[in-house]
Amino acid sequence: MDFIIDGFIKAFFLLIHLDPATMSAISATLKVSTIAILISLVLGLPLGFALGYFTFPGKRHIKTLVDTLLALPTVCIGLIIYALISSQGPLGEWNLLFTLTGIAMGLTVLALPIVIAITAATVENIDPELKLTLVSLGAGRHHIVRTCLWEVRYGILAGVVTAFGRVFTEVGIAMMVGGNIKYHTRTMTTAIALETNKGQFADGIALGIVLIIIALCVNFCLSFLRKQ
Amino acid sequence: MTLAPPIYRLEKTTHFYADKQVLDIADLEIPQGSITGLMGPNGSGKSTLLKILAFAMRPTSGRVRFKGTPRYPFSSEISGKVTLVTQKPYLLKRSVFDNIAYGLKLRHTPRGLKPRVQGAMAEVGLDFDRFAFRQWHELSGGEAQRVALAARLILQPEVLLLDEPVASVDAQSAALIRTASLAARKNRGTTLIITSHDLPWLFTCTDTQLTINNGALFATGREIVIPGPYARKERGTKAWTRQLDDGQIIVLPAAASAEKTAVIQRKHIRLTRPEETGAASDNRILGTVQSMYITGQPNEVMTTIDAGGVSFMLGMTSDRSARLDLQPGVHITLEFSSADIFWQ
Repeated sequence: MDFIIDGFIKAFFLLIHLDPATMSAISATLKVSTIAILISLVLGLPLGFALGYFTFPGKRHIKTLVDTLLALPTVCIGLIIYALISSQGPLGEWNLLFTLTGIAMGLTVLALPIVIAITAATVENIDPELKLTLVSLGAGRHHIVRTCLWEVRYGILAGVVTAFGRVFTEVGIAMMVGGNIKYHTRTMTTAIALETNKGQFADGIALGIVLIIIALCVNFCLSFLRKQ
Repeated sequence: MTLAPPIYRLEKTTHFYADKQVLDIADLEIPQGSITGLMGPNGSGKSTLLKILAFAMRPTSGRVRFKGTPRYPFSSEISGKVTLVTQKPYLLKRSVFDNIAYGLKLRHTPRGLKPRVQGAMAEVGLDFDRFAFRQWHELSGGEAQRVALAARLILQPEVLLLDEPVASVDAQSAALIRTASLAARKNRGTTLIITSHDLPWLFTCTDTQLTINNGALFATGREIVIPGPYARKERGTKAWTRQLDDGQIIVLPAAASAEKTAVIQRKHIRLTRPEETGAASDNRILGTVQSMYITGQPNEVMTTIDAGGVSFMLGMTSDRSARLDLQPGVHITLEFSSADIFWQ
């Protein structure tokens, strides 16, 4: 039991003393997560809206595909991205392997189906009276799309939180594509995995606590925004 | 001098949901500045007709002329001029003020927003200080309905379509909605089309009433719909019948198609006391007076008589009503000939 208490104490000191290795892992995690979430939102919101709002041939098949991608194991995503960006892969000349950009690419593939699926499901459940109301108030197509998205903002926010939780705590992609290089591509989760493998449970627990604190802060911020 | 065209003209308008036809209107004109009541059972096509008139959807076939010109959804010429309050009005997830101001903001009219919102709220009897900054979920059903109406009135539309505006509101809200509707016509010449199952309320605020049944329109007061199901009278005969819930049978003429609706003009129905000897009509149906109410027309009483689940709504003078000693609960005989019934 002592190592758990040691973990809590060590977490406190790591944060108070701004331990460089810990700070580097926090910074790398936040960077890749933020980039992945932003790209997923930019691509996923319109795609999710289109999938939920419009009726078109093949819609059901696309939804099945998106739902399947939701369950894609992260090691598979890591493998695909690794194959794409390794020196023999089609994107090999971009030198993205073992970089934060490479990890962000993998995390985007992980987050994108979540954003698309939750946005589509939220938009599909929009009260049909809403569109009728907007048309009768004189809204054009552009305003209808904007207002519909604003009306379901809480549902979409839930999707963002889910996607963020997934990418923030992801380990498989970061390990395979990032290579777990200290002060470079080591994220919180790969650091925890490494410390645990080394038998440094206290360090692992300390980093785990830091990870949970950051996740809590992000959720509190989103919850505050929701109240606004 | 040329007459102003009707505000609406529907020509050979039909609408289908999948294979099911829900609307079939050969010709309909709505005069400018009129208030038209639309009655009919659930699923008769009232809401579909209102959505088409609101240019919220295209009919499957036919044309909708607005002031003489065919118009279509999202046409800029009708944007904000025609507005609909749906049966369960959707309030945007924002304050009452922002809900009412939404349509004006779309038109980039931020100047004088507050007094205009105040004015619209006053029209529907909502106190600005008490309600303006309440959130959408802090309103009762009647208040929400009035906020939805205020959000339309602020646009000063040429046409206001109200779908069951008093279906789930208290008497006070119903009276306020009626006052606001009548004021819109009086002050701005707004044309109103209102659907409601609350017939006394509808008759007090409309000039003319139309009945819609199975998607077909009938001018109420002139025609009475005898809804199905119909059955062939006997094997080998062309006549049809409609068995009422209490076992009485209405004899109908030969039907061109089972999809048609049996209709009779009011003038062909004679009311007699049950004890009077019958005339030569082949239909003598016993009914019970359900309700009586005065209409917007002077000296007119609208009497609803139920005969085995079928309603016969007959307008008559108050003198005639008194002579027949009509009052709710009284039994009365409806006499009419099957030859006067036609299929539409």
